[in-house]
Amino acid sequence: MVEDSEIISVVNEQGEAIELLSVGEWIADVDNNVESAKGVVVTPADDVELLQESLHKISLIALDFVSFDDGRGYSQAALIRKRWGYSGEIRGINAHLDQLQFMLRSGVNAYDLQEQYQDSNEHDYTHGFSICYQVAVNNGDMKEKF
Amino acid sequence: MYQYNADDTSFLVERVDQFEKQLDRHLAGDLDAAKFRSLRLRNGLYMELHAHMLRVAIPYGALNTEQLRALADVADKYDRGFGHFTTRQNIQYNWIELPEIANLLRDLSAVGMHAIQTSGKAMRNITADPFSGLTEDEVEDARPYCELIRRWFNIHPEFSWLPGKFKMAINGAKLDETALQIHDLGLKIVRNDVGELGFASYVGGGLGAAPMIGPEIHPFVPVGDIISYLESVLRVYNLKGRRDNLKRLRIKFLVREHGAAEFAKMVDEDWQHGKDDPELKLNMDELAKLKADFSLPIEPLDLVDFKDTLDINYSIWKTNNVRAHKLAGYSIVNISLTQLGTAPGDATSEQMRMIANLADKYSHSELRTTKRQNLVFPYVRKDQVHALWQELDKSDLASPHHGTLAHVVACPGADYCDLAKAVSIPIAQQVQQRFDDMDKLYDIGPININISGCENSCGHHHIADIGLLGLKKNEQEFYQITLAGETLQETVIGRKLGRSIAGAEVVDAIEDIVNIYLESREEGENFVDVFKRIGVAPFKEKVYG
Repeated sequence: MVEDSEIISVVNEQGEAIELLSVGEWIADVDNNVESAKGVVVTPADDVELLQESLHKISLIALDFVSFDDGRGYSQAALIRKRWGYSGEIRGINAHLDQLQFMLRSGVNAYDLQEQYQDSNEHDYTHGFSICYQVAVNNGDMKEKF
Repeated sequence: MYQYNADDTSFLVERVDQFEKQLDRHLAGDLDAAKFRSLRLRNGLYMELHAHMLRVAIPYGALNTEQLRALADVADKYDRGFGHFTTRQNIQYNWIELPEIANLLRDLSAVGMHAIQTSGKAMRNITADPFSGLTEDEVEDARPYCELIRRWFNIHPEFSWLPGKFKMAINGAKLDETALQIHDLGLKIVRNDVGELGFASYVGGGLGAAPMIGPEIHPFVPVGDIISYLESVLRVYNLKGRRDNLKRLRIKFLVREHGAAEFAKMVDEDWQHGKDDPELKLNMDELAKLKADFSLPIEPLDLVDFKDTLDINYSIWKTNNVRAHKLAGYSIVNISLTQLGTAPGDATSEQMRMIANLADKYSHSELRTTKRQNLVFPYVRKDQVHALWQELDKSDLASPHHGTLAHVVACPGADYCDLAKAVSIPIAQQVQQRFDDMDKLYDIGPININISGCENSCGHHHIADIGLLGLKKNEQEFYQITLAGETLQETVIGRKLGRSIAGAEVVDAIEDIVNIYLESREEGENFVDVFKRIGVAPFKEKVYG
C-alpha cells in the first residue's frame, strides 16, 4: 500500500479538480471523507476489496497504470465497475496509448495519458479493434462474437 | 475443421494494422524497447541471436492444406525456405526481417492464420490431442472447446497483461497426449456420475527450472460454466501472482505458495460471483455449430475384402506410423518430420507443399501437428495407406524412425535461440548417427529422447524417458540427464541421473543408459517400467562408474 501518493489531485470529466487520497488514507478516515467529495488513487499493489464497502462515497477513483506490464489495474477496474457496481468516474492515470482499448473495455471511463504520448492518434488505440470475442464491462459499439 | 469467417479475418487485419503502427513508432524512436518488446511478443515476434524469429499459431494443431501451402509460401518469401514445427503445435520461422513482418502477417491472415499471443505474458496457443475426434476411447472431441476458449481469451481486456505466460491444454481422450499436468492450466474432459460433461481442472504445472506437476484444483466444472471458471482462475492469478521476482512469475509459484487447497478456495470464492452470470455461460449454440464444423468429413467404409500389401519396409513403417481409426475402413497416419541429419521438426517449403498435395489426395485436405513435432493425416482410407507410403518414401518422408529412439525431440537450441545455453540439434544428430542400425532400433523399441537447450525446457526434457538439459559451465556445454519422465498414463517428472556431462561425452552416456535398459528389461517392460523396478543406481553406476 502507498503511504502518500505522488499524485494529489486530478481533473474530472466535469473539469473539477478532485483531491486524491491513497487507499490507506481513505480507509483511515472514511467517515469524515464523505462530505468533501474526495477521490482515491489506487495503485496496482492495492487491495481494492478494502474499498468495497465505502465505494459509493468515493467521488472518483484514479487507477494508476504507470507500469506497462502490470495488468492488475484491469482486474481492479472490472471488480469496481462490474462486481460492485460503482457508477462514478474511474480514471486511468499514467495511461499508455497502446493499452487504451483494454482499459476502456475493463470499466475505465476517463484517462490521462502519459506525456510521452502527447501528439499521438488516440483513436487508433481506443478503437483499434471493431470486433471482440468476449463479454467485458464495456464493449462499446464493437461487434461481438462469442 | 473450423474456418475463419469475414469478421475473424477483419479482426486479424486490424491486429496487423495496429502492430505495424507500433513497429513504425518503435523504429521512429517513439516507442521504447521495453514496451515494444511487450507488444511484439504478443504478436509472436522474438528478436533473436542472428535475426528475428516469428512464432505462428496452429490452434490445437489443426491445419488445412491451403494453410500449409501458405506456411510454405511464407518460408520462401520471408525466410530461408523452411519452418520449424514446435512441441506446442506452433510453427516458427527463424530468419525474418523486421520491415517484412506486417506483410507476412497479412499473407497469413488471408488463410485465417496469425501469431497472436504465441508469446508474451498472456494466454498462449491452446494445445490439444492431435488425435482428437479420431479415436475410439475418447470422452469427447476437445477441439470445439479449444476454439471457444481460444476465442474468449483472444485479446481479453482484463487478462492480457498477466504476471507471466499462461499455457493451456485440453484433452478429451483417455491417454494424455497433451501432457496436461505440465501446463499452467490443463483441462481434462470427464463425465460425472450422471453422465454430464465437464472438465477436471489442473493448475500450476510447468517445466522450466522448477518443474511441477499441476495438482487437481477442481474435479468437475460443468461444461456450461467453464468460461466463468477460467476467468476466476485468471483473475486470481492476475491480482495475486508474483510480479516482483522474475523467477517466480508463473502461476505454479502462486499455487505452491498457497497450496493447492487454498488456491482452489481462492478461485472458488471469486467464481461464486461469476458462475451464475448468464453473460458468462458457454454459448451452446456456438458449441453446436463448432461440433458440426469439426465433425468427421468421412463415412464408414466396408473394406472386408481388402488385403494390404506385404512388404517388409512398408510393414515396419506401418507398425510405427499408422494408428487405428474409430471409423471402419480408415487409418490415422503419422508423418515424421525428423529425418536423419536434419533438425527435429524442420520442414522445407518443398516438403510442406508435397505434404499438402498428399493430404489433398489422401486425407480430405486436413492435417494435425503434434507435440512430438510430427504431422498427422487424420483420414486415410485403409486401402490407400500403401499408395501414400510409396509417395512418402519417394520423397524421403517415410522415416521408419518414428516411435524409436532415433526420433529425438529438440528445441532449436543455441544454434538459433539466444536464450539457449547449449546446442540441441547437433546432439540429436549425434544420437541418430550412433543408433543408425534399424534392427537395433526396433530391438530397443520406443524410447523418447528430448533435448532442451536451456531451463526454459522447450524440448520438454522433463517428461522424456531420457531427457537432456543444456547448461553452460566455464564456457563449456554440459548436459543434465533425467530419466523416466512420462505423461501418457500419469504425469511424472524425470529423475536426475547425477552430475551433468560434457557435450562430447553425452552420446556415450545415452548408449550406456540404453544398454542398462536392454540388459535389465523383462518381457513386456518399457523404459519407465524398468526404471521403476531397478531404480536410478544401475544407470548411475554404468555412466559414472
